[in-house]
Amino acid sequence: MRTILITGANGGLGQAIARAFLHESTENRVVLGVRSNREDADVLAAENADRAEVVSLEVTDPAAWESVVSGILDRHGRLDVLVNNAGFHRDGLLATMPRKDWDSVRDANLDAVFHGCQAVIKPMMSRRSGRIVNISSLSALLAPMGQTNYAAAKAGVIALTQSLAKETARSGITVNAVCPGFVDTDGLADVDPERKKALVRTIPMRRFGKPEEVAAAVRFLAGEEAAYITGATLKIDGGIL
Amino acid sequence: MSEDPASLHHRIKSVMIDELMLQESPEEISDDEPLFGPEGLGLDSVDALQLVVALEKNFGLKIADAEAAKGVLANVNSIAEAIESGSA
Repeated sequence: MRTILITGANGGLGQAIARAFLHESTENRVVLGVRSNREDADVLAAENADRAEVVSLEVTDPAAWESVVSGILDRHGRLDVLVNNAGFHRDGLLATMPRKDWDSVRDANLDAVFHGCQAVIKPMMSRRSGRIVNISSLSALLAPMGQTNYAAAKAGVIALTQSLAKETARSGITVNAVCPGFVDTDGLADVDPERKKALVRTIPMRRFGKPEEVAAAVRFLAGEEAAYITGATLKIDGGIL
Repeated sequence: MSEDPASLHHRIKSVMIDELMLQESPEEISDDEPLFGPEGLGLDSVDALQLVVALEKNFGLKIADAEAAKGVLANVNSIAEAIESGSA
């Protein structure tokens, strides 16, 4: 049975990714990494009791990663896929950005990916097989104003992905990134309706992406068919860039 | 001269070839050939990391740190010595 660890698994995109793997095969087991909120992850785990479980994982804490990964290896004997999905943004102009907003956004979006990759890489090397999919963002490529922290962190994820892909290519491990554009998840729920309309007008497809559309790409990159794809960055944005 | 396939040196070479996807045969790798650098097999730091993981998996050899790895991974002879002595 393949074991897939997904961080940020309580959010809309994390949920969609978990469901994509659960639907893909009854031979897939998902481990849902969550931080403080876990209601939706608990529901998903209850619906798939034999193939889904929730673990508490503070992604910015290397010790938490070590504990979660060794727990998975103890319980299931293998970890096949890591999806680094957790993250958040706290926008503001650089001139007035509190240092804590820079640090926390970098910690959660970039340092966390480093910790996660470091925790899984040796077990994957030992098995000579593994898939890492890092969720970056279109912001990494567009670098919008007000997102110096988030755009820099997510761009860092792309560079980390490319560099690590080279380091692990001979070990049967692929490392890829996806860059979602505007996806209809919790993040957009708070956006003012007029602002939403304006945002949609910037998208050539004139609609927001669905979480399932991002999840499908993640599932593909984590699959056997994507064995020769590594170090790639796939944007999923309805044609914005 | 062909090497006994059961010998430790031969098994180390087989693991290296399998794990590092080398194109050489075990017979083409001599016991004292440097593994790294242009004078030898030309392995790089990525190979070194994979080799450390592979030696632990296949021979139970735990290499403490990068400094110890430098000595142990010099050539096939040094790897065999470390395995036989049971530590690095």
